[in-house]
Amino acid sequence: MKKLRRILHVAVNDLRIMVGDKAFFFWSLVFPMMFIILFGLLFKASDSAPAVAELTVVNLDEGRWGAYFLDKIKTPTIELKIVRSEPAEYSRLIVLPPDFSAGIEARRAQKLAFKKRRDASTKAAARVETRLYQAVARMLSELVLYGDGDLAKFLDGHAEFRDIVQVKTRFPEKTVTVVPSGFDHSIPGTTVQFIMMMVIIYGGITVLEDRKNGVLARMLFSPLSKAEVFQAKLLGRWLMGMVQALILIVVGKIFFKLNLGDFGLSLLVLGAFALAMAALSIFIGSLCTKEDMIIGLAVLLANLFAGLGGCWWPNEIVPLGVRRAAMISPAYWAMDALHKLRFFQGGFGDILPHLGILLALAAILGAVAARAFRVRE
Amino acid sequence: MLEIKDLSKSYGDVLALDRFSLDLKKGEVLGLLGPNGAGKTTLISILAGTLGDFTGSVTFLGRNLFADRELKSRLGIVPQDMAFYEELSAMDNMLFWGGLYETSRAGLKRRAAELLDLVGLGARAREPVKAYSGGMKRRLNTAIGLLHKPDLLLLDEPTVGIDVQAKVSILDLIRDVGAAGTAVIFTTHQLAEVETTCSRIAIMDHGRILAQGSLDQLVRIVGERDIVEIMGEFAAAAFSEAVQDLTGERVELLSAGDGLASLAVRDTAEIPKIMDRLFRRRLAVTDMKIKSPSLETVFLKLTGRTLRD
Repeated sequence: MKKLRRILHVAVNDLRIMVGDKAFFFWSLVFPMMFIILFGLLFKASDSAPAVAELTVVNLDEGRWGAYFLDKIKTPTIELKIVRSEPAEYSRLIVLPPDFSAGIEARRAQKLAFKKRRDASTKAAARVETRLYQAVARMLSELVLYGDGDLAKFLDGHAEFRDIVQVKTRFPEKTVTVVPSGFDHSIPGTTVQFIMMMVIIYGGITVLEDRKNGVLARMLFSPLSKAEVFQAKLLGRWLMGMVQALILIVVGKIFFKLNLGDFGLSLLVLGAFALAMAALSIFIGSLCTKEDMIIGLAVLLANLFAGLGGCWWPNEIVPLGVRRAAMISPAYWAMDALHKLRFFQGGFGDILPHLGILLALAAILGAVAARAFRVRE
Repeated sequence: MLEIKDLSKSYGDVLALDRFSLDLKKGEVLGLLGPNGAGKTTLISILAGTLGDFTGSVTFLGRNLFADRELKSRLGIVPQDMAFYEELSAMDNMLFWGGLYETSRAGLKRRAAELLDLVGLGARAREPVKAYSGGMKRRLNTAIGLLHKPDLLLLDEPTVGIDVQAKVSILDLIRDVGAAGTAVIFTTHQLAEVETTCSRIAIMDHGRILAQGSLDQLVRIVGERDIVEIMGEFAAAAFSEAVQDLTGERVELLSAGDGLASLAVRDTAEIPKIMDRLFRRRLAVTDMKIKSPSLETVFLKLTGRTLRD
């Protein structure tokens, strides 16, 4: 208990010194806000549906009803791509089976599968889907005319025609269920980036300064052991990362209506990430002998990991190879977990691997930092 | 209260402490004098627990100092280099460093304010330390070591590089602390400081205590003799050779360096004889001083060096 109290005392003092720094306000709020607004607006624009939505149709039907159905879909805002087999890549796709016309003629119910790529525009999908229903309705009316001309009477007399054509929209499992605004991505992205930047820069520099000023060595004059001093430094830097995260989240909630999904789990992800960065900051602070070295290294690492890890743009839009390479970035695991919580309605089970990786990284970096940690020059 | 037995520490081939032993009683203020490299800072660092890999034992308050970390809360240490947070105020520094010990917040605030007043920083206690002068920082550095009312206070050259006012303030504080019952070990280069501040003086060199006792006891080591200090243009070896036939019961060569030598003489009548030997060898003498025995003389006799060597 005494040990814990001492560790907390040192950690809170570190936090106080870091937060008390005049530049802290700029680096923790003003500068990140610029990133949030820039990337938020950028991705808000790209969020709107394209002017012309693409729809690929695999038309296997040879009869008249398939062609007729396609004719009813046609509109200037939908670009039809008619093919004979399912392509490897598409945004949205519908398949007309070979027996489509024959089935209708035989008065059998038809089911058309509408598929959508996971990361294609949701709004465009909705537009296409609406058009499909319109086409179905028009076709039904034609079928009525093909009957005796009275839709209600026709349907009353022919119950089987009520569902003569069904369009069943299928999205991949755990698909996007919320249309994300740019800020829902840019705020977590900027938060992750600035946790990295602030914790490594401030955390590293203060470790260096404390060592140079003899403050770390003096702590050993008290009942604190070297291991406890290390733990206190780690805790102080973690607290700083969490303060940084909370500032941006609160600002995001107030000014940008930020929605993180499950707030508790989001904090858990950011906490695990901040712990890994806290350990990294002590490691860098223990290795470097000059402030400039720490700043250079921090800016380089933070920007590299942020860009690669999906802090600036959603990782879902980058090529698969880059997405795989991104896995070396701690930011990737934090951002991917936050995306799962926010955009895919994920729960604890979905982010468990991410938490595991971030905590394992924190443990490895912590062990390396503890070994490199020194109290005097 | 403190018993150090056969403490030895090496840095490679260099023996920094050589079976160093020392006892210290409650309220005793021990001045540890020694030239650079004598082993003073090594001793303080071992006692502070920041230096390992040594042999020997240290018993503090009847317990092994290194086996129980909580014993450290009874130990106050003032390091040679100033160590505190420059961006915090003196009061905030005091509250931080004091907070590492088992002290109530209210009690700590009172004690911090008292100590800052005592070292003359009370009026500027809320200013960031980075705005302080060197002397003010040195006083704060000392006050931090006293916050938790330690039973043993270790000060490693606490008056280095400060003005007279700050030095007096720190020495007064050390005396007061000793008078209040705290045992103090105080390392320094300054003979005058230990003469006026310490109840016991130990002279150390090459990692060992060469002599210890009160000022009077130490001066008796040199005996009732006058000290002759000769300055001139001569080499150490030439000087030693020139006065060799005079040295014995009545004349003792305390130290001989290039251009400066010290001798202890029973009678000033020996001085012309010394001069004669030097002139015969054509060794130029530019100045000569006759002094009464002092701690400096004792130091010179024991170490063969001045404190500035």
